[in-house]
Amino acid sequence: MLHIEHLTKTYGDRPVLENLNLSVSTGEIYGLLGPNGAGKTTTINIICNLLKADSGVVEINGQPVSDKTKALIGIVPQENLLYRSLTCRETLQFFAQIYGVGAAVRSHRIQSCLEAVNLVDRANSTVDTLSGGMQRRLSIALALVHQPKLVILDEPTTGLDIEARYEVWEFIRQLKAQGITTLLTTHLLEEAERLCQRIGILKGGRLMAEGSLEELRQRIPAQEVVVVQTSQENEAILRGQQQGFTPRRYGSDLVFWLPRSMELRELVDCFNGIAIDSISRQPVRLEHIYIEVTQTGKGLGFPLPSALPDPWD
Amino acid sequence: MEKTFYLLYAGGSEHKGNGLNKYWRETVAVARRILTELGRRRRSLIFWVIFPIFVLLLNGFILEERANLTTAEAFQSAAPPTLVGAALFFSCLGGSVATVVSEREQQTLKRLFISPLSGTSYFLGIVLAHTCIGVGQTLVVFLVAALMGAPLEGFPLLAGLIILLSIATYVGVGFILGTQFARRTEDVNALVAAFGVPLLILGGAFLPTSLFPAMLLRLAEFNPIYHMNEALTGVLSSELEWAAIAPHLWFLSLFAAAMIVGGWLSYRRMIWVERRL
Repeated sequence: MLHIEHLTKTYGDRPVLENLNLSVSTGEIYGLLGPNGAGKTTTINIICNLLKADSGVVEINGQPVSDKTKALIGIVPQENLLYRSLTCRETLQFFAQIYGVGAAVRSHRIQSCLEAVNLVDRANSTVDTLSGGMQRRLSIALALVHQPKLVILDEPTTGLDIEARYEVWEFIRQLKAQGITTLLTTHLLEEAERLCQRIGILKGGRLMAEGSLEELRQRIPAQEVVVVQTSQENEAILRGQQQGFTPRRYGSDLVFWLPRSMELRELVDCFNGIAIDSISRQPVRLEHIYIEVTQTGKGLGFPLPSALPDPWD
Repeated sequence: MEKTFYLLYAGGSEHKGNGLNKYWRETVAVARRILTELGRRRRSLIFWVIFPIFVLLLNGFILEERANLTTAEAFQSAAPPTLVGAALFFSCLGGSVATVVSEREQQTLKRLFISPLSGTSYFLGIVLAHTCIGVGQTLVVFLVAALMGAPLEGFPLLAGLIILLSIATYVGVGFILGTQFARRTEDVNALVAAFGVPLLILGGAFLPTSLFPAMLLRLAEFNPIYHMNEALTGVLSSELEWAAIAPHLWFLSLFAAAMIVGGWLSYRRMIWVERRL
């Protein structure tokens, strides 16, 4: 459905996308992750034909991107971008007309959209009277009113409370159940873990890692990670390395990759003689993979360093 | 909830194609949206009705007294400059600047950029919406003038054309100002106050140009509002003098065309500058 090949874009001398290759199959939810400035929004801008690429190919449903392919895309932007004095129904009516939804099916389609996002009882309320969650639901309805082939969700739950976030996740699952192709960008790794069939991690305009969550997990040679809090960090690192653990610094956390699953008792014994404030085991999660990729600037599948270079640098 | 969601893609799709139909559909959608928003806010619409009535009454009574005219003659003379010089200026120029600035402030322009809406339709939609308002103001002004006894003489159809050209001119200028210079709502007021009011006075909206000193009259000839006033006053007078009206009509036509092209180009430039999400 979405095919990106050798996509390159620079702003002045600064490369923003470097030879990006990416494909999203029909009916798939693809999560595009990466830190700010990684090139996610630039990629979306090019897909939406708001920006021209320097080189490369972007095709939607087999068609090169152009103003004509805009009708194939439904986008939920980061901000809701709604007319505050229009009602929900008027807003949907306006965009249905813009997207060329025929008069014969327009009313039915608008009603279906309102029902789908649970806004029927607020259909005649103006946007400025809706809560943030409701506005986000209306924004999702707008993205669907013309039955797009590809739905792009650009950080769809940013700024939402937990209830609204769960609602949006439920809608995204329903998109998947409908077989609608979805490209999701998010900073919430839990969101990507829960929703996406495949995940790509961008950094510096390059796709550093790609695959299903399971595939990405398998490329980290660890069964589990252990998070240690101690005032004797250097000693803990040395002890961990002696045990065959790989130390990592994730933010303020001292983390060790464990090559095999270990009992907590066994772990505590490993650090015997060191003042440990707390120790906890966790399965390898997307968060660990993401930090590994974005912090090291290398893709996955590289050999693990035998010693920590300078973790506190 | 899940059942209703499935209806979204179950109903089949009926998308209308490209061509003139697309432009017409989009133009009507944009115009309807602007009018709906204005209708919901009401305040602007009410002011745009009250303002020309007040200006017409003031202009009419001042003319009656100072120019020794009958009430009917005074209001017949006061109606054209009140309409094209004052009423349409604020509704069509100020209104279209406010429309673009409001889109920018609400960031809805970005949503329009990601939609298939063409720039031409967007521009024409704003023109159509303000034409509807302008037509409404025209009816109000001439109705009040008629109530004061002013006859409708001359060539109403040609007058209609001049009014439409004036609306197009104002919307074009509004588009240029709105897209290139006005970033916030306060900028709209500043622009109108700084340039608009002097141009209105110099155009003869509040004071007949026959009272202007020669130097100001020469300056007024570069002011499109002056030509709108002169052209409309000329075609609505009982004694139509083509030779006197023709230069004003030409100026107005060329200026309107230039402003439409300028407005459209400004929109294109704005798209390139602001289209990123």
